[in-house]
Amino acid sequence: MLLEASNISYAYLPGKTVLHDVSLQLNAGETLYILGKNGCGKTTLLSCLAGLLKPNTGRVYLDGTRIEDFSAAERAKRIGLIPQMHTPAFAYTVRQMVMMGRAPHLPWLGSPTEKDHLIVEEALEQVGLIDLQDRPYTEVSGGEQQLVLIARGLAQKCPILLMDEPTAHLDLSNQHRVMEIVHQLGQQGLSFTISSHEPNDALAYADNVLLLSGGWVTEVGEPQEVLTEPLMSAVYGIQTEVIYQNENGVKKARAVLPRQPLAVKPDSLHEEDSFLNMVFQNRKEKPQIILVTGLSGSGKTSWCKQMIKEAAASGYSVEGILSPGIFESGRKTGIEVVDLVSGERKRLARLREEGQGEISTPRWVFDPDVLVWGNQRLQNSAESDLLIIDELGPLEFLRNKGLLAGLERLDQGQFEVACVVVRSSLLPKALQRWPNAVVVRGQI
Amino acid sequence: MKSLQKSAASIKEKHSIQKAYLFLILIGLPLGLLILSLTLGRYQIGPIDVLKVILSPIFPSIAEGIPDIAKQLIFHIRLPRILAALLIGASYGATGTAFQAIFKNPLVDSNILGVTSGAGFGAALALLFLGDPWLVQVSAFVFGLVAVFLSFFGSRLYRTSPLLILTLMGILVGSFFGSLTSLLKYAADPLDSLPAITFWLLGSLTGITWQNLMPLIILTIFGLIYLWTIRWRLNILSLGDAEASALGVDPTRMKLGIILFSTLMTAVAVSVSGVIGWVGLVIPHAGRLIVGPEHKRLLPVSISFGAAFLMIIDDLARTLLPGEIPLGVLTGLIGVPILVLLMRRSRTGW
Repeated sequence: MLLEASNISYAYLPGKTVLHDVSLQLNAGETLYILGKNGCGKTTLLSCLAGLLKPNTGRVYLDGTRIEDFSAAERAKRIGLIPQMHTPAFAYTVRQMVMMGRAPHLPWLGSPTEKDHLIVEEALEQVGLIDLQDRPYTEVSGGEQQLVLIARGLAQKCPILLMDEPTAHLDLSNQHRVMEIVHQLGQQGLSFTISSHEPNDALAYADNVLLLSGGWVTEVGEPQEVLTEPLMSAVYGIQTEVIYQNENGVKKARAVLPRQPLAVKPDSLHEEDSFLNMVFQNRKEKPQIILVTGLSGSGKTSWCKQMIKEAAASGYSVEGILSPGIFESGRKTGIEVVDLVSGERKRLARLREEGQGEISTPRWVFDPDVLVWGNQRLQNSAESDLLIIDELGPLEFLRNKGLLAGLERLDQGQFEVACVVVRSSLLPKALQRWPNAVVVRGQI
Repeated sequence: MKSLQKSAASIKEKHSIQKAYLFLILIGLPLGLLILSLTLGRYQIGPIDVLKVILSPIFPSIAEGIPDIAKQLIFHIRLPRILAALLIGASYGATGTAFQAIFKNPLVDSNILGVTSGAGFGAALALLFLGDPWLVQVSAFVFGLVAVFLSFFGSRLYRTSPLLILTLMGILVGSFFGSLTSLLKYAADPLDSLPAITFWLLGSLTGITWQNLMPLIILTIFGLIYLWTIRWRLNILSLGDAEASALGVDPTRMKLGIILFSTLMTAVAVSVSGVIGWVGLVIPHAGRLIVGPEHKRLLPVSISFGAAFLMIIDDLARTLLPGEIPLGVLTGLIGVPILVLLMRRSRTGW
């Protein structure tokens, strides 16, 4: 085993741990991808693996020896780090940049020799940049800069290269160019650990994938086993879908995409495959949540109203609440709440004036009595076919106030089909809570 | 294939010829200027005579017929002064290049850590209370080191972003010593010690003796040798700590060495000449224009250009007007326009 991390944790500041108990292994010729959201600890993990940061607990082993037991130069002969693309302060030529990879092999006071020049030329040849060797590094394209850094890693002659987001900011052709070269180097026996935002690259090039979320390892394994819809959704906090392809009779994952909200209109039951039909057939198996999402003013409430109308026309019973806006001379000045069982309506909120209100969001001040009333309406289940909750907003999701009875009822699954209005910014929160929800765009 | 190898060989040959030319220029420029500078002055001595006098310790017969006063003038007045200009220029060129690399910033020089302000204070203190020129030099040197020590270890109190903090500390310490110097000037006798302090701060090479020169020669040569040997690694340090470390270079230890040697060189230079600014800032830019930013080539060019530049400035200071023009004034008046022109012409990323 070339590189091994066992149970490493790291905190930049006491109490703010960014890596928790991470273990991984890298064998000769293997490519390991690290996937995860921004800020999940990928770069920190790479820095620990490169020996630049010392883990607070746990150990990193290089060739079976603790990495801190190597001198900087000895370490750099065994493991190289290819950083994210950057602009150096001085416009070194491509060749001079690559030459810097020879540093660990030179004596402390030494300068490069003829042999080093030959190694640099060979590295430039390998990545196909020999013709650009005298151009300033700052003036070649982004893809070529990344290849220069890879060539520097090759000149460093270490068996392991760590790469931090090698394809970030590159166009499709340059991503491909860089990754194909990395792949070929991998087949020649080099080992790579690559942090990336491209699950599709991991499907194409990785031998193993490590999923990191919030500094914890979610899963490690072969890409075909790890890059699944549930795991991808959990790691990225959005609904994902995996696209499969038939390869010699074997179904293989080829791409991971974010699942788009459905753009459907509520319609009655006239047609077999209509939306309402599909939803109500589903309910026999399990309670089904439909999240109606969109920006403010995109028509989420109208979408629910249409749904209520069509459901009533098809003979389904409806309960829950709607909260349409109150408009005065074209401006939204208040929010009403309507009980769908009794038809009663009350004023829920008005625009905020300076320094007002105990229960409020930045723009609205809520009437606590009406909130209590709304909660009662949601608690008194009429056991209808369709439950409408319009809407669950920042009050409920972020401050634990407001229509909490709605949250509770959804959590407990006390409904058949629920239509819940959630604005786009809160959709990830809602999906974290109810991963099996169907998301629709609330546009008519 | 054979012709390709042949052409590659001829390119290599061309390169080595260029290299040889550059080498000759880098050595010849300061040496030529040294001889030329020795001829300049109110007492006219021709270049041939100057050469004869310089070689006379080795071949005593060569300087026969040259008046003693010319020999005295060259050995005891002109040579120490011009050697000082050469060494200080070389020192500023080299330390400026090194500091621009380790600070990843082409707009700093070795003064960024406050060495000059500290030395200025030390000199003012000695001029006010002691008066002996040798003690002024010692005091300037010591306080120059004290200022850098304060900047460097002050920055260690913070754990984050040490480079930025180090720069900030240097500026703070520099301002602090600047204020102390102003305080001393305020307290100084306006007829006697105040002009002495003021002229010291303007920079001058007047009245340099071999005794003054000795510490400068020793420290500058040691420092230049150190910077020369590590010059290729300056490239790696200029990429930042994390990358340097990943390339097997210990950035902390290396920077400590560079700051130590550069500070000794700068402090001794300031202690001899007073405040002469701009050389360390301008010279590396001029060098980059000719050989590019790669430090293995840039450092020798900066040393040579720095030495040549300060000798020319000193020649102008001596000969332009009947009285002497302070060196610090001239380097600013000439250096700033040059820097503006160089910045206009420089390539992206300097």
